[in-house]
Amino acid sequence: METEFDHDPVAMILGLKDIRKAARNYETFSSNAPFRVPIPSEESLRSVRQFPIESDPPEHTEYREIVEPIFNRPNQPDYQKRITKIIEALVIPCMETDSFDAINDFALPLQSRALALLLNVPEEESELWIKWGVHVLREGDGSSKGREMEDYCKHAFLKSSEWGDDNLFSILNHASFQGRFLTDDEKLGFANLAFAGGRDTVINTLCVVLAHFADNNHDFVRLSEEPELINCAGEEFIRFATPLTHIGRKCPIDSDVHGVEVKANQLISLSWASANFDESVFLNPEIIKIDRKPNPHVAFGNGPHNCLGAPHARLLIRKFISVLIQKVSKVSLLACEPKIEKTKDYQRVNGYEHLKLCFFGK
Amino acid sequence: MAKVTYITPSGNEVVVEDAIGNLMEIAREYDVEGIEGACSGCCSCATCHVRVKPEWLDKTGRATEAEQDLIDLESDTDERSRLSCQVEMSEELDGLIVEVAPF
Repeated sequence: METEFDHDPVAMILGLKDIRKAARNYETFSSNAPFRVPIPSEESLRSVRQFPIESDPPEHTEYREIVEPIFNRPNQPDYQKRITKIIEALVIPCMETDSFDAINDFALPLQSRALALLLNVPEEESELWIKWGVHVLREGDGSSKGREMEDYCKHAFLKSSEWGDDNLFSILNHASFQGRFLTDDEKLGFANLAFAGGRDTVINTLCVVLAHFADNNHDFVRLSEEPELINCAGEEFIRFATPLTHIGRKCPIDSDVHGVEVKANQLISLSWASANFDESVFLNPEIIKIDRKPNPHVAFGNGPHNCLGAPHARLLIRKFISVLIQKVSKVSLLACEPKIEKTKDYQRVNGYEHLKLCFFGK
Repeated sequence: MAKVTYITPSGNEVVVEDAIGNLMEIAREYDVEGIEGACSGCCSCATCHVRVKPEWLDKTGRATEAEQDLIDLESDTDERSRLSCQVEMSEELDGLIVEVAPF
């Protein structure tokens, strides 16, 4: 399929098998495209190239290895206990009111506080991040907190030693790449991705889970009775939400992409959302099936650029479901307005503009 | 007590003497290189792909249908491919040897 973004033609790869192949073929479909890996382009929204995402192997591999210890922390048992406490601290106040806004009262603060844990900085820092909104670079009204976020990161690199030597900022300050220290722009590019990358995506997925439970109490009850399904349910919610609709790759030379002619340096799109609803792979893809197995979704991408934050996001969703089924007997929907992503040739629901809910405690 | 040996992509051997659970969980506990197990056994990721030594295939069995669907999407697989999250250790598998596939 061919469409248009930023007034340029963009060929979209849609099928699951084709996407998985393309995502691993970085020579034909390159990520060496500063500001252009996100679609639409973020050239006007940030001052630096994001790392490691906007690079190709072998440089990408070395960049990624710098931050992998931070992004693999969710595998530690102590980290998992701390995530649970963060979730509980937000669920309990919501249970004590008749109505709460799932985005601003719950999902946004949860995402930010959990990010502070991931980046290993004091949780108080997240109070400022919450004020940056759901999408730090591009809010629905066209505003951007991108500059403010970059200024914050520059300051954080200077003061990070006060937080110890194993937080994201300190690690980047001391990291070596190809035998040298990272440049200020490279460090800022890593931090920029850490704040922009897993933000609206996590928030949208949390809201999809809540809205599903409100509409499908039988699934909520089933998970309470069969908690061993939580991991599979988490994967299914992530597949269904696919909060990152697609990602860009640049063709370094003229290419034929499934019958669409792509000129050198033009973008193509890997449409994760389309692939995750590929009917040749997923039976009844429009239905959330909490015990779906196998579930070879690509919501976290695929291949060398597989989402760095995936362990954290998976843990967050799983522990979130786990806390909910322990504390809450029912989720009720009071009002909602889906968020519609509109482009020239298609539109899709991706999260919510507003989601008012009520929790009934156990 | 059942023993399992993982041969990692870089050629190292990791021997676990008292292996309990599935091969992915055991590998994660012993930090076996190349076994990520990102989806924790939901057949979503194939980051725990191993190849069973031919002489053990009769005992481990071949991939189940759900497992094979995912394996078919991966490159560099063959008839010995299994997702280690789907192989439960047992006394019958004492001495099992698997090769961890490069990711």
